[in-house]
Amino acid sequence: MRIAVLLSAGRHRVSAHPAPVPVELQAIRLAAELGGEAFGLHAGPAIGPLHDTLGHGLPRLTHLRLAENDDPAPSLADALREGAFDLVLAGRSGQGGEDAGLLPYALARTLGLPIVADAVALAEGPQPGTLRVEQALPRGARRRLVIRLPALVTVHPAAPAPLPFAFAAARRGDVETRPGIAAACAPSEMEERPYRPRPKLIAKAAGGASAAERLKAATESASGGGKLLVEPTPDNAARAILAHLREIGVLA
Amino acid sequence: MSRSRKDPRTERATHRVEGSIRPRFDLAAAPAATGRPRRDRRAEERLALVPGTVRRRLDRTQRVAAVGALPAPTTPAVETPPRLRTIPEPACLVAVVPDAPGGRLTPHDRQLFGAARLLADANGGAVLALVESWSDELAIAGADRVLPIPASGYDPEAKALALLSVLDGLAVRHVLFPESADGGDLARRLAALSGEALFAGAESLSAKAVTRAAQGRRIEQRRAPPRLISLATDAVAPHAGTLHEALPVEFAFPEPTAGAILSAEYIPADPAKVSLAEADFVTSAGNGVTDFEVFRALVAALGATPGASRMVCDAGLMPRAAQVGASGTVLEARCYFALGIAGAPQHLQGVARCEHVVAVNTDLHAAMIERAGLAIVADAQEVMPALLRLIAEEKRG
Ligand SMILES: Cc1cc2nc3c(=O)[nH]c(=O)nc-3n(C[C@H](O)[C@H](O)[C@H](O)COP(=O)(O)OP(=O)(O)OC[C@H]3O[C@@H](n4cnc5c(N)ncnc54)[C@H](O)[C@@H]3O)c2cc1C
Ligand SMILES: Nc1ncnc2c1ncn2[C@@H]1O[C@H](COP(=O)(O)O)[C@@H](O)[C@H]1O
Repeated sequence: MRIAVLLSAGRHRVSAHPAPVPVELQAIRLAAELGGEAFGLHAGPAIGPLHDTLGHGLPRLTHLRLAENDDPAPSLADALREGAFDLVLAGRSGQGGEDAGLLPYALARTLGLPIVADAVALAEGPQPGTLRVEQALPRGARRRLVIRLPALVTVHPAAPAPLPFAFAAARRGDVETRPGIAAACAPSEMEERPYRPRPKLIAKAAGGASAAERLKAATESASGGGKLLVEPTPDNAARAILAHLREIGVLA
Repeated sequence: MSRSRKDPRTERATHRVEGSIRPRFDLAAAPAATGRPRRDRRAEERLALVPGTVRRRLDRTQRVAAVGALPAPTTPAVETPPRLRTIPEPACLVAVVPDAPGGRLTPHDRQLFGAARLLADANGGAVLALVESWSDELAIAGADRVLPIPASGYDPEAKALALLSVLDGLAVRHVLFPESADGGDLARRLAALSGEALFAGAESLSAKAVTRAAQGRRIEQRRAPPRLISLATDAVAPHAGTLHEALPVEFAFPEPTAGAILSAEYIPADPAKVSLAEADFVTSAGNGVTDFEVFRALVAALGATPGASRMVCDAGLMPRAAQVGASGTVLEARCYFALGIAGAPQHLQGVARCEHVVAVNTDLHAAMIERAGLAIVADAQEVMPALLRLIAEEKRG
């Protein structure tokens, strides 16, 4: 199986230094454990810290050289079409760029590939040419899908941690550099400014409320006034609790 | 409770005798009241006094002021039904695509309707809910129109194609998605299909501007609301105040075609293994629990994820990973069942986002009892075996 892993130029979460994106390293691990040939693919002005991805279990990396601020999508689409990959893995979203997670969807659209989001585990499917994907859902639930290949799959941060870095493997890995397709980005209407964390909405706390009221709003039940049983017998208490849990639907 | 408050300066000024160059005051004249009320702290304290306890106890929040009138603080009957607001001829539509797992709106979905109302009201438009099935929650949430979208099983591509036809066929000015696992996926699919720009993960929204974080939360991007927006949680308040019509809308969807997903199987989370941050139902032990064998058996029988207060973790009775609260894990659970937990502010912070709380405590005035939707003043050591017995009986019978 030929697997392409899309690698973007990231920045470290804390220090903001150029660094590989963790979820893409996790994608490399999923590709390595699935077996088959894995190829890294990056479109951008320089390879920089992405050289480290070779030490995390990726044998070869193709760098499509672009000018600063060029759109990577046409170059990547062209390389993916030419490479005839069975599976394309990407991160859920980048870290350090636009971070919108839109590129894999745009690529899937131009290549006409089906796309599945948020994989945490991959395995061979029941028939040849199919793939089993385990998808992460909120609250620890999972969805197990069988999809037809070729396909594009994005990886979720709940996937297994990246393989440890091996220096010798990083030395051994090849990097092929070739020019990409120059394509200017569409002009953006975005206005940019330094990030300012916005206060998360606190339920019902009106502006200018007293400290006691704000604490009350932050800690009080959203569902309003509750039921109170004082000194019931243990059996009555147990019955009330089970009935309540059933009513709110957490107990079958 | 309030007396008027003295302001010595104005009081002195009212005594001033006019007409002389040197200031003269006639202090024998009747003083004038200023009208600013003054707090009477003694009377406030008398009201906050909790009766029926041996030790003097004050409840300044006044939440259990009526302890004499136990049991069950019934909700007062002053609830007036919300006013119905109709929008017969909307200038445009603001569509909302809630996740609504199992047909019930999540808190995130309600915030989405709040955002949609904001955008619709600014443009004289109506809110269109694109859901799988009609439910009466939608009228309260703030939907003027409802369009059921055909869906069978898990096929996001077919759903995105159906949404694309709505986008082309109706005068939809904005489409709002929740930035959740399924909602975010659908939003990006629709963005790729339609070629429109998606504003992903908006962290604030008004009729004039939306903002989002980019470059690893180092910069903030801002623009006028585009057509497709996905909204982060807790960015906009849910809609409240008026009731809306939730009128069904007719629309002819194109025939769906088979996608690349051959089969999909939902696997519920294993409560014993999921991390606390991801858990849906957490049962927690505090200092009031002494029998941890029974507690563990109860957690397994309820199918919950075990948690604990810091006192219990400090004592080594539960692993540190089970600690709930400010210095432990902040829960996202739907239901929290607290056994023998007092409800210190540090602990309650961890529970702040839980929708339902059930508490068992021997102390009627514990903060956890106030926070709970079902509060039981009883000994946890007796309630736990009773619960186990009842569950076992139900299994047998
Ligand atoms: C910086 C800081 C951070 C902290 N972070 C956390 C945190 O993250 N998480 C956390 O939990 N705590 C935290 N704490 C500690 C917190 O302040 C409280 O001390 C702790 O939560 C109290 O735990 P508890 O309710 O189990 O114990 P207690 O306060 O001892 O309360 C026990 C409760 O059980 C009841 N009880 C007793 N016997 C029974 C019985 N037989 N049946 C039923 N009920 C009974 C009592 O009435 C009482 O209400 C923090 C404290 C500090 C200073
Ligand atoms: N320049 C690039 N070269 C290769 N892959 C990329 C590039 N930009 C983004 N990707 C991939 O697309 C995913 C989502 O990126 P983004 O849409 O920028 O959030 C990333 O995790 C990468 O896998």
